[in-house]
Amino acid sequence: MVYITSDMLSIKTKPMMITELLSSHLLSSFIAVAGTIIIFQFVAMLQRKLNVIWLQPMLISILALIAILLWQDISFDSYFSSAWLLNALLEPAVVALGFPLYQHLATITQQWKSIILVLLIGALIAIISSFIITMLIIGDYTIAVALSLKSVTTPIAIAIAGQLDGNTAITAFAIILAGFFGALVGPRWLTFIKVKSPKAQGLAIGAASHAIGTATVSNISYEHAAYSSLALIVSAVITAFISPVIINLLASFF
Amino acid sequence: MKAFNTKVFHALYSAFAIFSCLALGKLCSNFAPVLPASLYGLIVFTLTLHFRLFDADKIKNTVIWCLKHMGICFVPAGVGIINHFELIKQFGITIVLITFTTTFILLSVVGLYYQRYAVDKD
Repeated sequence: MVYITSDMLSIKTKPMMITELLSSHLLSSFIAVAGTIIIFQFVAMLQRKLNVIWLQPMLISILALIAILLWQDISFDSYFSSAWLLNALLEPAVVALGFPLYQHLATITQQWKSIILVLLIGALIAIISSFIITMLIIGDYTIAVALSLKSVTTPIAIAIAGQLDGNTAITAFAIILAGFFGALVGPRWLTFIKVKSPKAQGLAIGAASHAIGTATVSNISYEHAAYSSLALIVSAVITAFISPVIINLLASFF
Repeated sequence: MKAFNTKVFHALYSAFAIFSCLALGKLCSNFAPVLPASLYGLIVFTLTLHFRLFDADKIKNTVIWCLKHMGICFVPAGVGIINHFELIKQFGITIVLITFTTTFILLSVVGLYYQRYAVDKD
């Protein structure tokens, strides 16, 4: 008798819970996605009107959303699972960067030797300078690994950081910082030091600030977008291959 | 009406092109996990356009729109910083300073080197 009643109970309650969950999840997804879009578009509009550098739509939207989550006591996990649609579009958006790359393929293939050389030097500088400076100041191997990998795109950096026993949370944080830093001050700083060619600016920002930098400079010109996407790919491949060797070598000195 | 239909057709065609390249990218990263699927997809997309498997003219407008708005896709992941407040409190300023300095060095070296040896030479 007891078995039958408990079975009956579970049959009665289960469908109810699933429909409730589904409707609330659909609604919260809609609110999270629409809210994010509205905030982003509002900041983008403000930036166009006021033309101030720090009104970067990505950065300001992130800060605004963090404030809203803290204020309303919403956990990041519940926001993220509701805004999954935007995050899922990240992959196709990165694929779309192949278009500017295709348009400049001819000039790029002519200069492939100097491009690979400069990006190899860049990757070496990124890893070595970050590792040594962090070891000297903080003295923690896991943080040093995390910061050495901050210039490459998130999935690759996280994978390598895990493999080398780095701190993946700090890796993720430093990647975002490096991305915004290059995206915000990169073009102006490069123009200031007389690096004015869109090719050189694109390569530098793609190498230092990965996809966040590339997404930002894509709005300046097609040439920026092409060279930045190229640097994004090539730097990621180079770093994936050389970082384990270099980090193990450097770690033996400390 | 006809112009609208062409627009819709071009958008669908572009979505098909991008998603099929992404699917191939997923396949590649499954067999050779050196790069993430999206970067393989980017390479496949460039190659399919180069070898005219997809018509670039039909894709152009949609891609311009995507590139203009792609920044929004980084927002949800960026909000994830919220989970690392403890870490940031502990090492925050040092990490920020090191990241800024090294990013600055990297930007300058790559930019100056390429400008001097590749661009100015031409």
